[in-house]
Amino acid sequence: MFIALGAGIAVLTGLGAGIGIGIATGKATDAIARQPEAEGKISKALLLGAALAEATAIYGFVIALLIILLLK
Amino acid sequence: MCITDKLVSNLIEELNCDTIFTIPLFGGIAESVVVTWIIMAVMAIAAICLVRNLKVENPGKKQLLLETAISGIYKFFEETIGEHGKRYIPYLMTIMLYLGVANLIGLIGFKPPTKDLNVTAAMAIMSIILIEYAGIYQKGVKNWLKSFAQPVAIIAPINVLEIVIRPLSLCMRLFGNVLGGFVVMELIKLLVPVFVPVVFSCYFDIFDGLIQAFVFVFLTALFIKEATE
Repeated sequence: MFIALGAGIAVLTGLGAGIGIGIATGKATDAIARQPEAEGKISKALLLGAALAEATAIYGFVIALLIILLLK
Repeated sequence: MCITDKLVSNLIEELNCDTIFTIPLFGGIAESVVVTWIIMAVMAIAAICLVRNLKVENPGKKQLLLETAISGIYKFFEETIGEHGKRYIPYLMTIMLYLGVANLIGLIGFKPPTKDLNVTAAMAIMSIILIEYAGIYQKGVKNWLKSFAQPVAIIAPINVLEIVIRPLSLCMRLFGNVLGGFVVMELIKLLVPVFVPVVFSCYFDIFDGLIQAFVFVFLTALFIKEATE
């Protein structure tokens, strides 16, 4: 029971990643709308930012998995 | 409760890297190694088939396609990796091909090697060795050591920590994404076994796998650029 709760709390890190990637994508869409010719560079930067922001969510997921599998 | 028990035991089974058979001198051979051998064989055969009969004059359709693809990838990486990193592009392309195939091979029933933490850790360690080697090659040992104390000497510990953090984050990102996609797919299969998994499989297996292969190589290229500047 408490193990499941702990895993759930660990996965809350996804919140931050979701907000971060959402903001980044929104700004990238803005930038492409303003300057369509710079799309290549913008999407490259967006991909990098999204990959870095996503890492926190992945860490949360790995921790949650470790909690479930090791404390079972 | 019985469903979750089944799921957990299934997950543990997937997380374990089973030993398939044992070679007397080398010890146990894990499943991911065998799948990697299969990928190596397929890619070697593909490479031999694709580069046969290449001509300088009046090239065939196959050769034109190949040249367009290769020069496109070269152009893309040249922008990312900078002037000094050009010599590492073939390595990056190899890693990208391997990771792309490895992430997609789950579609035809093999266990993706990237779901094994040992494989992603090995890839990440190779990356960090290449990054530091590129730095040493470009700057010389003395300047490479000095570069840890830039821009100010006080952040040197953080720069040293980065040698550990970078591969750790590369390794965990690849492993976590592939495994996370797998877990979500298992949960969906448990809830709705018909049709719905197909739609999600397109995202989690195909799109996510290719994106992660690309991100791994892209980040390595970026770090190499930073190291050689």
